[in-house]
Amino acid sequence: MNVPSKKRLGPLLLIAPAAILLGVFLVLPYLNIVVMSFRMPGQGTPYGPGFTLGNYGKFFSDFFYVQQVINTLWIGFLTTFLCLILGYPVAWQLARGASAFRAVGYALVLSPLLVGIVIRSYGWTILLGNNGIINRTLTGWGLIDGPLPLMYNALGIIIALVHVFLPFMILPIMSAIQGIDPSLEAAARSLGASKITSFRRITLPLSLPGIQAGCILVFVLSLSAYVTPSLIGGLRVKTMAVTVVDALIDTFQWPFGSALALMLSVTGAIFVVFFGRLTVMKWKA
Amino acid sequence: MSKPFFTVYCLIIYAFLLAPIAVVVIASFNAGAFLTFPPQGLSFRWYLVFFNNEVFMRAIRTSLWIAALTTVISGIIGTMAAMFYVTHAGKLKETVRVAMLAPLLLPEVLTAISLLFFVYSVGLGTQNLVGMIVGHVLITLPFVFINVSASMESYDPAWSLAAQSLGAGRFTRFRRIMLPLIKPGVIGGCLFAFIISFDVFTISFMLKGVGMSTLPIQLFDYLRTNFTPEAAAVSTCSIVLTMAVVIISEKVLGLRIHRF
Repeated sequence: MNVPSKKRLGPLLLIAPAAILLGVFLVLPYLNIVVMSFRMPGQGTPYGPGFTLGNYGKFFSDFFYVQQVINTLWIGFLTTFLCLILGYPVAWQLARGASAFRAVGYALVLSPLLVGIVIRSYGWTILLGNNGIINRTLTGWGLIDGPLPLMYNALGIIIALVHVFLPFMILPIMSAIQGIDPSLEAAARSLGASKITSFRRITLPLSLPGIQAGCILVFVLSLSAYVTPSLIGGLRVKTMAVTVVDALIDTFQWPFGSALALMLSVTGAIFVVFFGRLTVMKWKA
Repeated sequence: MSKPFFTVYCLIIYAFLLAPIAVVVIASFNAGAFLTFPPQGLSFRWYLVFFNNEVFMRAIRTSLWIAALTTVISGIIGTMAAMFYVTHAGKLKETVRVAMLAPLLLPEVLTAISLLFFVYSVGLGTQNLVGMIVGHVLITLPFVFINVSASMESYDPAWSLAAQSLGAGRFTRFRRIMLPLIKPGVIGGCLFAFIISFDVFTISFMLKGVGMSTLPIQLFDYLRTNFTPEAAAVSTCSIVLTMAVVIISEKVLGLRIHRF
């Protein structure tokens, strides 16, 4: 059946545009970036002739870059963890709460997704800055003498990232809880389990696939976030994505930039796979 | 844990979600020369400045133009792929799904960088908008695919067969039978494509040519050096524009918004 019959050819034309698009503009560029990371640095050009392992050598020998990957991973972990802690009760309420509350709540959770990421980060600079609302209010009330350092540090980045990615945690968990038959919880309660026990033994384990999907989504998104860290972190705190883009746009070092980007992606992927192994992998996007 | 506790907790989270957006909207009506809170008097001063700022107006036009093109291309390609996925993929079903969702699962920064290198390697460069539109189509394609294939799950192939037995050709079957039935999915997918394309940052940032900024990029550049409430006015208009697209589609087409 190697020769496609006339009957198979028609349907194949349906997938052809998408296949060509993904093949030419996604697969080939990704292969290209791997090759690029082994190229020689250029003199006045983006890259030179020949191949080298030097770009990776430079990454591992300079502790600055390793430290930055660790910082980025750390910010990603904290963001994911905070999203989970803050988002789970909301997801539960959306799935099981009173219906009037649910419709409004769902709209409220979705609404930030419709606002561009630049605008949302900008909103946080207005809130968190030294002259921002929070600091002005606190000094106005006489609670603090000088402004609290909320921006230009990891704390500010994490606050803004949690905001930006919280809906991506809430929505998968919400649909996971919605998929649990409420009669299971009712059965546990009728057998004498307390609310907390029924939650711990029934609802929480059954919502694990949603937790997993949400955590992976938020973790991956926060590792590669560019806008929020560069607006909130300014020049002082840089995450990996910011450094990579700087390396490519400002100093035009394509091979080294590629190596940096790949190191971050591979590290992130290792954690995602590890996390997937730890929890039961029931992956349905 | 009691119900009131949960309600209060959720209200706090909703306030957290809305706070930065509300702050931007309020700041845009500031009458003063700088961003201060509470605003020094209310005025439309910064809206006038914004509407007379040719750079921002050009960026809005560019954004709308790119989003429209992206929506059409992504809508057609994504719908075709979803039709293949639901009715013809057979054993390849899982492979097709993962491949179609790949742009969503890969980090956008890496996709943007690799696409930038690629358009230079093949001599396309960033002198025109081809690279940027390709990038936007890549990013929006999964959303069209998810929405359309979800709406097709309830489509019974017997309906197509019935039409075929009555003599309808392939295209007529699609236009008269399938398309009307999957319309909510197609429109929902296209709506997402438009909104996401309007907001996409990293791809546009890496692939923009000289003097071809989209609105988010222009805003980002502006925020790095300026602190006037003009940026808030720009942001508010952008929010209103997106909301208008969503509300009009809801009212006119009566569809429900589901991202997942």
